[in-house]
Amino acid sequence: MASLTIQNVSKNYGSVAALRDISIDIDDGEFLALVGPSGCGKSTLLRIIAGLEPMTSGAVSIGGDVVNDLPPKARDVAMVFQNYALYPHMTVAENMAFALKLRRLPRDQIEKKVRTTSQLLDLDGMLKRYPAQLSGGERQRVAMGRAIVRDPSVFLFDEPLSNLDAKLRVQLRAEIKELHQRLRTTTVYVTHDQVEAMTMADRIVVMRDGNIEQTGAPIDLYDDPRNLFVAGFIGSPAMNIVPGEIDDGTFVARGGFRIAAFRPETPRDPGQVVCCVRPHKVTLGETGTPASVVVVEPLGGETQVIVRLGETSVVCLLRDRTTLRPGDAVRLMIDAADLYFFDRDSGQRIDCN
Amino acid sequence: MRRRGAVNPVQIIWMLVTLILALMAIWPLLYMLGTAFKPGSEVFEPTLLPSHATLENFAYVLTEAPFWRYLLNTLFVASVVTVVALFFHTMAGYALARLRFPGREGIFLAMFSTFLISTPVIIVPLFILVRTLGMLNSYTGLIVPAIFHAFGIFLLRQYYLSLPRELEEAALVDGAGYWRIYWSVVLPMSRPIIAALAILFFLANWNSFLWPMTITADSDLQVVQVAIASFQSQYSASWNYIMAASTIVAAPMLVLFLVFQRQIMASIKTSGLK
Amino acid sequence: MTRLSGKHREWLAGYLFVLPDALGLALFIALPAAMALFVSVYSFDAFGSFTFVGATHYRRMLVDPLFWTSLRVTVTFAVTLVPLLYVTGLGLALLVQRTNLYNAIMRSMLFAPQMVSLVVIGLVWQLLVVDKIGILPQMLVAVGIEPVSFLGDPRFALLTVTLVCIWFLMGFYMLVFLGGLHDIPQEYYEAAQLDGAGRIARFWYITLPLLRPTSFFVLLVSTVSAVAGAHAFDLVYVMTKGGPANATSLLMMYIYQQAFQFGDFGYASAMSAVLVAMLAVLSGLFFLLTRGGRFQYA
Repeated sequence: MASLTIQNVSKNYGSVAALRDISIDIDDGEFLALVGPSGCGKSTLLRIIAGLEPMTSGAVSIGGDVVNDLPPKARDVAMVFQNYALYPHMTVAENMAFALKLRRLPRDQIEKKVRTTSQLLDLDGMLKRYPAQLSGGERQRVAMGRAIVRDPSVFLFDEPLSNLDAKLRVQLRAEIKELHQRLRTTTVYVTHDQVEAMTMADRIVVMRDGNIEQTGAPIDLYDDPRNLFVAGFIGSPAMNIVPGEIDDGTFVARGGFRIAAFRPETPRDPGQVVCCVRPHKVTLGETGTPASVVVVEPLGGETQVIVRLGETSVVCLLRDRTTLRPGDAVRLMIDAADLYFFDRDSGQRIDCN
Repeated sequence: MRRRGAVNPVQIIWMLVTLILALMAIWPLLYMLGTAFKPGSEVFEPTLLPSHATLENFAYVLTEAPFWRYLLNTLFVASVVTVVALFFHTMAGYALARLRFPGREGIFLAMFSTFLISTPVIIVPLFILVRTLGMLNSYTGLIVPAIFHAFGIFLLRQYYLSLPRELEEAALVDGAGYWRIYWSVVLPMSRPIIAALAILFFLANWNSFLWPMTITADSDLQVVQVAIASFQSQYSASWNYIMAASTIVAAPMLVLFLVFQRQIMASIKTSGLK
Repeated sequence: MTRLSGKHREWLAGYLFVLPDALGLALFIALPAAMALFVSVYSFDAFGSFTFVGATHYRRMLVDPLFWTSLRVTVTFAVTLVPLLYVTGLGLALLVQRTNLYNAIMRSMLFAPQMVSLVVIGLVWQLLVVDKIGILPQMLVAVGIEPVSFLGDPRFALLTVTLVCIWFLMGFYMLVFLGGLHDIPQEYYEAAQLDGAGRIARFWYITLPLLRPTSFFVLLVSTVSAVAGAHAFDLVYVMTKGGPANATSLLMMYIYQQAFQFGDFGYASAMSAVLVAMLAVLSGLFFLLTRGGRFQYA
């Protein structure tokens, strides 16, 4: 086990920058999620940590030692690949034993380690099978087993659940989290699914276009997004985004309605801003801004209602069942404290009192 | 810091080894080319290039023997075989990949099992058969037995299996018959593989030697490969003439290779059994 | 005529589409292969009439020293050619595996001999190794080695033909191996790198096992072409015609001479039947060794 430091790492493919000056400190035993849309550079960063891809500049240290010039095998990291990359010509047991065999561990030790790991992952029944004979979830567990059996300093996960169906994904999410709580191995987990990142990680790094947009604990990112991108990316259903402008301390949405709550901490010129609110912070009541119902989507426990508000539509997540029907007139109530404002051009948060 | 694309000394050594091997691969061909331009007295000079380049060898070969006739014969035979083979093989490949009919797998297996039977193995009975059919010493005898080979059928079937079904199904829904689908949908979609196979078939038939030698005695029917082989016994020591003739025979294929090397090599790369 | 149902129209179309090729293959490959057995029990005279002679030709084979020589030459040729070709093909493929301009040029150069007929190849190499004055003997003298007679000495003729054959075929097998190598997903190599495998371990534990289907194809096809391929026949025919002292007399060469020089179709067919049997045993052996040619680990 070890800490992991990424220092000013940049990566260019020709003139295209895939990573720009990335720095992250990961504590010993921490579970860090790298999350962002495809092409944001998260997988490239993971491969640089693994040593599978050279970086253009910067440094990666594991346990305090710079590993830039070390080949993957000397870095003591294990990786779970998106397509698992289980050797098709080896059985489950051989797949797990491969790294140990290469390290010339005595046969009985290898067997013991494979046995303990397979018990840990509920794999003991399928040690003699080939990967092609396993289901998606089982392959995924074998891929983890292959990583765990080596007892590495750092675990790297590259979108390990993206090839599984939704139900299995939820189950394995919990298994991976539980496993991390038990083993406490430093983990870097790459995903494009913010729910995975939110539920599993100690800390999340949100990336876009080779830059870090924000780093923080899951709840902090949710409650306190520093920019419009993070606000829109984190949380499900996604944040309502209403463009408009400021007119004398009042937010005027495009299409007409006003919110008289805009009091920036620092005085600023009137201009284009974006107002955001989480769907479950919008309530329907007797007073408030008039709107009309467009779509009602019962989800069972909750009901998602999409209403038309001037030129924009707003998603509300109601905890109660409702008899609302499309075309009904409603009034929206939003607590001013639940509003987030962002500069439209820079995307930066505008702090309000 | 390691950088992508940078070369280390070990890589340079391997690159040099490759270069030497590649030069060894083409050196005999270059030597053939060089000798074709050498006067007779220079043939065994160890230099690649002639010191007194001459076209006389070519002139001699093209005038002393009916070489143009041989070239035309070969061109005709190879072209007809290629076109007919592609026509038959695309039809069979399409049917074996797409149409459902009883016995399809059995027919495919039976066809495929002829894959390993090469001409030298059956040359004697094939000769007797062709003689019985009265095709000895004829273009028919040169062409017809050369058309049928499981290799092309196999490759085309694989290709059609990998194509999406939707276009054919759309045509079927539009009321097209199977012949129409084959002609207007399947054939146009197979253009890349047909181009690659056309080159391979033409090449194989241009270079074919054993079969033409066996069934033609008539000089009017002679193909180039047989002609230069007999050249050797006629002008046994006149290597400059033999090399000029060889160059004339090999040059069209080498030019074809220079133009289509990407397609030729790609089609062979995928031809391994999968 | 009644209208055919959709299903039967598809059947009919299928049969008609397959018909030309099926008929051609049956007539010009399957029938001659079967005829070899039939013809081998008859004796032919110069006028095309034949009489039944039973197993006479097979008995003659047993006591024909030239038959046994040819068999030995064929086996020697195959067991030299096949492993050397495998190693050269795979080695070259590994050398030019990475996709870049340099390797593309190298691949083209290595493949170029494939474009030229074996007749031309045979002639060119004959010129290159002509005793004493050929360019290769001259080069050997230049570096202080006493050159041998490459094609004139029975001890070296078969080896010379084998090496020329490898030189000719290596580009083809290089490409086949390249196809196989490119089919191995890069991820396995990355996983192996993280598992601690160096270059040699990756080759041994990842490349070789995952190349098994390609290896099977290469070994099968190269063995068959060594024993019965037109390439080898053309080359021997042009370079040595089986000589010197029958040192390069491949079985198919001997068969050809018996049939078309001495007109002994019956005896030639009997030996063809033996050749077919050899090939059948060989392919059977390959399929057994590779569990029926299946490589899926399921």
